[in-house]
Amino acid sequence: MKFLNLSGFIGCALGVALGVGFSGTAHSANFIIGEHTPLSGKLARVGTGSHRGIVTGIKVLNDMYKGKHTFELKTIDDESSPAKAVSAVEKLASEHVVAFSGGYASGVIGPASEAANKAHIPYITFGGVATALSQRGHEGFFRINSAAGYGKAVIGLVEEMGVKSISVVYSNKEATLKMAKYVEKKLTEDGLKISMHEYDSHVQDYKSIVNKIKLRDRPEAIVMIGYESEYVGILRAAKLLKPNVKAMIGVWSLATGKMAKEFPDLMENVYGTAMLPFPVTFTSPKQKLFYDAFKSNFEGEPSYLEQFGYVQTRLLGEAIVRANDKGQLNLKGISDELRKTDEETISGRVRFDEHGDNPEFVQRVGQHQKGKIPLVWPASAKTGEKVFPGTPWN
Amino acid sequence: MNIKVFLLALAFMYLGVPLLLGDNNYLIGMIASALIVAGIAVAWALLGNLGGMVSFGHAAFFGVGAYTSAILTMDYGVPVFVALVLGGIGASLSSIFMMPALRLRGPYFALAILAYAEIFKILATEATGLTGGGGGLLSIPSLPVFAGIDFGTKLGGYIVILNIVTLMVITYFFIRRSSYGLALKAMHDSELATRIVGVPATYLKIVMLVVSAFMTGAVGAFNAHYINFLEPDYAFSGTWTVFPIVAAIFGGYRTLSGPVIGALFIYLIDQLVFKNLLPQGHQLILGVMLTGMIVLSPSGLLPIITNLFTRTRGKQHA
Repeated sequence: MKFLNLSGFIGCALGVALGVGFSGTAHSANFIIGEHTPLSGKLARVGTGSHRGIVTGIKVLNDMYKGKHTFELKTIDDESSPAKAVSAVEKLASEHVVAFSGGYASGVIGPASEAANKAHIPYITFGGVATALSQRGHEGFFRINSAAGYGKAVIGLVEEMGVKSISVVYSNKEATLKMAKYVEKKLTEDGLKISMHEYDSHVQDYKSIVNKIKLRDRPEAIVMIGYESEYVGILRAAKLLKPNVKAMIGVWSLATGKMAKEFPDLMENVYGTAMLPFPVTFTSPKQKLFYDAFKSNFEGEPSYLEQFGYVQTRLLGEAIVRANDKGQLNLKGISDELRKTDEETISGRVRFDEHGDNPEFVQRVGQHQKGKIPLVWPASAKTGEKVFPGTPWN
Repeated sequence: MNIKVFLLALAFMYLGVPLLLGDNNYLIGMIASALIVAGIAVAWALLGNLGGMVSFGHAAFFGVGAYTSAILTMDYGVPVFVALVLGGIGASLSSIFMMPALRLRGPYFALAILAYAEIFKILATEATGLTGGGGGLLSIPSLPVFAGIDFGTKLGGYIVILNIVTLMVITYFFIRRSSYGLALKAMHDSELATRIVGVPATYLKIVMLVVSAFMTGAVGAFNAHYINFLEPDYAFSGTWTVFPIVAAIFGGYRTLSGPVIGALFIYLIDQLVFKNLLPQGHQLILGVMLTGMIVLSPSGLLPIITNLFTRTRGKQHA
């Protein structure tokens, strides 16, 4: 009996407390955003960059909606594994996240976003550019970048250089393979002589490929389409064999501050896509907002990974609030609001087409120059002149 | 493990787990993932324990089974449950290419099988028209609705993989109990002696390789429809070999249920406990635990559990 009395008292007290709590914050809400990202495994470096951007996005959202709404981030390390990414999405879905922001590599994003779709939760990313991802008819799949944007940047740079022959070294993953085919098609149309060299992502030694390029192809420039550790391997082999080329051009994951700091001897004069120069000079209010929020949490300078992570999270958060205000805090409501997005962000203009892709996305190109990465293409975004001809070995 | 304990454990897996955790997709998904590892561990232990062959290449059967099933359902409209069986058959057929390696023994056989796994991965990467190449296959059909039950849900998938693993354990049990099983056990101890008394050793090894490949292929096929995605790196990943071996040895690979218990234990403790304690680097704790286990009980976890039961019973009787 005593127990019943005590439990009744506790029940009443909780009821009153909860009642007061709800009446005091009738319109406020706490939105939980889920994130799965590779914080360990082979994609740990890029995953960490993306995560730092997403954390920055959450901070800015909390500052924006202070006193009204709060945002919470729940993160799970997917260990760069598709199965663990799916488990992470399922766990976060069971913890009632309203949306997902994150993921890296198309092979991981594919099954993870499929799981999110099954759970009726929207999913936004910048980490995978495989075309098939946005062609599955998922209402809630969005990405702020696209393969075409990266491809246009590489082609634009090569055309500006005026070289007549190119060797393309590329990984056999879907995103890299498709990008390589795109570059091959476009540059062949431009009348350039192209030689293609596909490699398996497990290759550790690139000397045989580079040697073939040096002795047989003899191109004026080499385009590398792969990921971080692969670029390092190719550049290491190239520095040893010294092919007579005028430029080494990469795509994503290359023009970053981390690469400049960790591999200064390999990166000098190497090109890679980047949205902003490094170290970055933030001048506009939007850029300053991001930079100050980033620096309040993290050491070092943000790269494009942090910028993209931030942009996708902030756009998602704003869409969540708008959907909530309309009483539509669900897959359809949030997706509809994301589709209404049309904004000039620190990563360029973002709007989403019917597949959830951003057709406005165009990358810029930076060049490693003595520990810095000025933007050298397009002319409208230039913060420095390119060193051409220029390679890490001459 | 006696039959009563086995039936009790089975009843818990079929009734207790769905009733207790049916609403929790995450936990059900975790247990299903552990059962996938368990399935490969059983197939591996069957080959190792009965055939006396230590394989480092079960990822090859897993990958072939997965791709066979995925391609048949996506390109030829074969029903998913039929494709699961055909995935197993595809893996069995692939094992024919490995039969020359049966002439080898011990580490030489293990390394040859490992090389086959790598060859199949390269084939899957190069056969772009069929497999999607390095980019892989997205949106592989989920498990279907059958007899009014949606097997495409997490709980449905759990039931399917539980059925597969249970059937595998039962098959293993009957093979072990048969006269073939007796001959195979004798071969494990002394192949020469069994050959002298007229046991067709090579024939029995071939049968065990085909059966083990079928089992692993069926599990691989299930995984393809469960996760809806495949790429060569993932389908033929060394993880599909190493983790089941570790699980089988941890649980006790010479026992019937040891590989299943080992897989459930190490997968779930790693993902549910160690990962929460140490989000990055939790594999370290698992490694230390495995080392400790192998040093303290080389026969695996099951003998420890059995001893505990025996002691408790002994005390009760006293």
